[in-house]
Amino acid sequence: MTGHPRKVAAFIVTLATIAAACRSGPRPETPASTSAVQRGGEIVASVRSEPRSFNRLAARDSTTVLVSTLTQAKLVRVNQATQEAEPWLADSWTTSPDGRVVTLKLRPGVVFSDGHPFTADDVVFTFDAAYDEQTHGGVGDSLRVNGQKLKVAAIDPQTVAITFPQPFAAGVQLLDNLPMLPRHKLEAALKGGTLGSAWSLSTPLSEVVALGPFVVARYDPGQRVVFDRNPHYFRKAADGSALPYLDRITVDIIPDQNAEMLRLEAGQLDVMTSEIAPEAYALLKRAADAGRVKLLDLGVGYNANALWFNLKPGAIPDRDRARWLQRDELRRAISMGVNRQEIIDTVFLGAGVAVYGPETPSNKQWYWAGEPKTPYDPAGAKQLLASIGLVDRNSDGMLEDADNKPARFTLLTQKGRPDLERGANVIRDNLQKIGVIVDVAALDSGAVIEGFLSAKYEAVYFNPDKTALDPALNQDFWVSSGSAHMWNMNQKTPATEWERRIDELMARQTAASDPRERKVRYDEVQKIFAEHLPILYFAAPRIYVGVSSRLTNLTPAISKPQLLWSADTIAVAR
Amino acid sequence: MVKYIARRLAFAAFLVIAVASVSLVLARLAPGDFATGALGLDARPATIEQMRARYGLNKSIGAQYRDWVVAAAHLDFGRSLLYDRPVRDLIPERAANTAILAVAALAVATLVGLPLGIVSGTRRGGFVPGLIRSTSLVLLSTPPLLMSLFFVFLAARTGWLPIAGMRSAVTPAGGATLDLLTHLIVPAAAIALPLAAMLERLQAQAMTDVIGEPFVRAALARGVPRSRVVWRDALKPALRPVASMYGLIVGSLLSGSFAVEVITAWPGLGRLMLEALRARDVYLVAGCAGAGAMFLAFGTLVSDLALGLVEPRARE
Repeated sequence: MTGHPRKVAAFIVTLATIAAACRSGPRPETPASTSAVQRGGEIVASVRSEPRSFNRLAARDSTTVLVSTLTQAKLVRVNQATQEAEPWLADSWTTSPDGRVVTLKLRPGVVFSDGHPFTADDVVFTFDAAYDEQTHGGVGDSLRVNGQKLKVAAIDPQTVAITFPQPFAAGVQLLDNLPMLPRHKLEAALKGGTLGSAWSLSTPLSEVVALGPFVVARYDPGQRVVFDRNPHYFRKAADGSALPYLDRITVDIIPDQNAEMLRLEAGQLDVMTSEIAPEAYALLKRAADAGRVKLLDLGVGYNANALWFNLKPGAIPDRDRARWLQRDELRRAISMGVNRQEIIDTVFLGAGVAVYGPETPSNKQWYWAGEPKTPYDPAGAKQLLASIGLVDRNSDGMLEDADNKPARFTLLTQKGRPDLERGANVIRDNLQKIGVIVDVAALDSGAVIEGFLSAKYEAVYFNPDKTALDPALNQDFWVSSGSAHMWNMNQKTPATEWERRIDELMARQTAASDPRERKVRYDEVQKIFAEHLPILYFAAPRIYVGVSSRLTNLTPAISKPQLLWSADTIAVAR
Repeated sequence: MVKYIARRLAFAAFLVIAVASVSLVLARLAPGDFATGALGLDARPATIEQMRARYGLNKSIGAQYRDWVVAAAHLDFGRSLLYDRPVRDLIPERAANTAILAVAALAVATLVGLPLGIVSGTRRGGFVPGLIRSTSLVLLSTPPLLMSLFFVFLAARTGWLPIAGMRSAVTPAGGATLDLLTHLIVPAAAIALPLAAMLERLQAQAMTDVIGEPFVRAALARGVPRSRVVWRDALKPALRPVASMYGLIVGSLLSGSFAVEVITAWPGLGRLMLEALRARDVYLVAGCAGAGAMFLAFGTLVSDLALGLVEPRARE
């Protein structure tokens, strides 16, 4: 009998060891105290364009994403306010010691809006659907690690195992990209190769079943989408009562921001899904001062407009020009020669901050506080330009290269985006003062994207929205083989030593499980980035949204949709 | 007359095909395409290529145009890349909305513009003709964009009218028709007022010319009351130049409604075309342009027929 306690102790130690090896996910969260929150009521929100589909796998435009946010649910949700992954349809999860396998336990008793139970088979089906080559919504591309798919298996009806192709630090955050879909409704479409056309805007709405807080109740083409409360929604408030609080959300399609603002001010609109433009701030401020609306300052945005040059070797046909156009010194000189405060004042009408690197200070977890803050120094910029042979050779005040050709380049930017067009003009005017001529060419966004995807450009001023804040989820931007490695995409081998070094650091950063190590590695990446400046950043806007005064229990976030991302807890005051 | 109508119908068909074809080719020739815009920067190159293959965007422009023409001959105008629905289904519902707006605006413009034109064209001086002329000039020089913003602002400030949209989310007590009419006031007024000003100017000029004709002067000299001469004898010939312009006016209503539809969130053809152009949805662009040409052709046909009725020489 003496051996028995030892066996028990050994068993306990083993269990403790396994428990230590397996990192557990957080416990399910419930919304804060709800005693003061009113139930019922409806609100009116606005979007600028129609959804392209009710199927998130088929389209990625912002309105389709909003429809998906309101009607679908994910296994794990990234809380937009805290940036933490939190249990959603998955109740909890464990990660294997090698960091490759995540086992998720699904929340029990969850059903779709038509009453059909949600099980592990739906999870497996949704991954299959996301990776379907004929669907083309782009979701499958965001669910890859180093270009490879995840493997998903149903262990039992309530348990799913997801295997990553390699250790992946961002882990379950990746699952925030994928809303779960009903196998019983869409399996036939997937098998028939027509999933991309399933749940189109002409589909009977009873077919579009939901796991999210709302269901699509009505769609008036060109006018609005009406969402009614999903009575089967799985989430409960802290007091155990059912969510969402609202009975209905009507999303009106209002293409023009002026009309949108007027409707908000007149009380015909409760919430906008886009941040307000700098020009509209004064109007809304007056309305806020009069108590008609609330103006929320959400802080500095995560994304700044960016300028980059085409650094693909051989992409600039004129080799003499390539010799200075692709030099680090040119980009450093531009960083010194552009007055960031002028961009803040001209483009964002003062509501912005200077930015020097790929992360803005709002990304508290990953922002590198040590980044060099390049001062506005036109004289220093001219000296740097002289070091690469750009000097004023004919005393006309403008610089010429060694072949006496003017220092001149074409800057593509997006037409119809005032922040980009005005920013490009400030850059042009600032660089003219240091002797560099910039020809600004404003094109449609598709034409700009086509220009840099085909590497037929000299320089671009654009806003390549980062899709996530965790750098591990932006691998395509950082690694030299990435399709979003703007300055030189899809490289077979790194074109420069510093890009090779970034590749290495990002590989380690992505695989590391220790958050401190990840931060150190990413700081190193940002340091290399600051030394070579493949992309120049100048300023990021402050984000403001306007909402009706009657809305309560809001959880604002910087990312879009700033308020409706947490629509299940929004309420209205009576 | 039958031959005349047949000739005009043939020209209308040619106009629609030509405009749709040119729109498709131009939308395709412009740099960038639907796939790059729809998938964004996160997409793998392979995904972009698959999407192009699915929608036929990887074909040469000649092959794409040929396929479209063959399908269009069977009344299949392609599938909207943006909404993944047949263009044939998308256009009618939006064209009907634009037609409601256009007819309402045209009716208001005609009822306001023509009588005022007759009044200002028949009187040489005085306060009323001067006021009409000045107001017309102000309205004519105000772009529809500003006009619609003004009315939207007015509606927001007073709260008397809905600011945007075509119907309320919940049908009010007065019924669906009244709801539609109240929503129609802002966009229709934004289009109708500049149009009324144009009709007033045209009608006034035509009326002034006719009043100077010998047959009118003779009637006046014989002592026939001026109002009787104007409304009975001079009006018909004075309407001819205005009638001949109606076709163009109907065509311009569509282009003029672009801005108004966007500002007032009217779900019409102009807004659909704008969305299609932004997304580089080549088939929808061609469909919308073709529908727009149909509007123009219809307007021209109606005005030609009207002109043919009042002026038999026009048929030749």
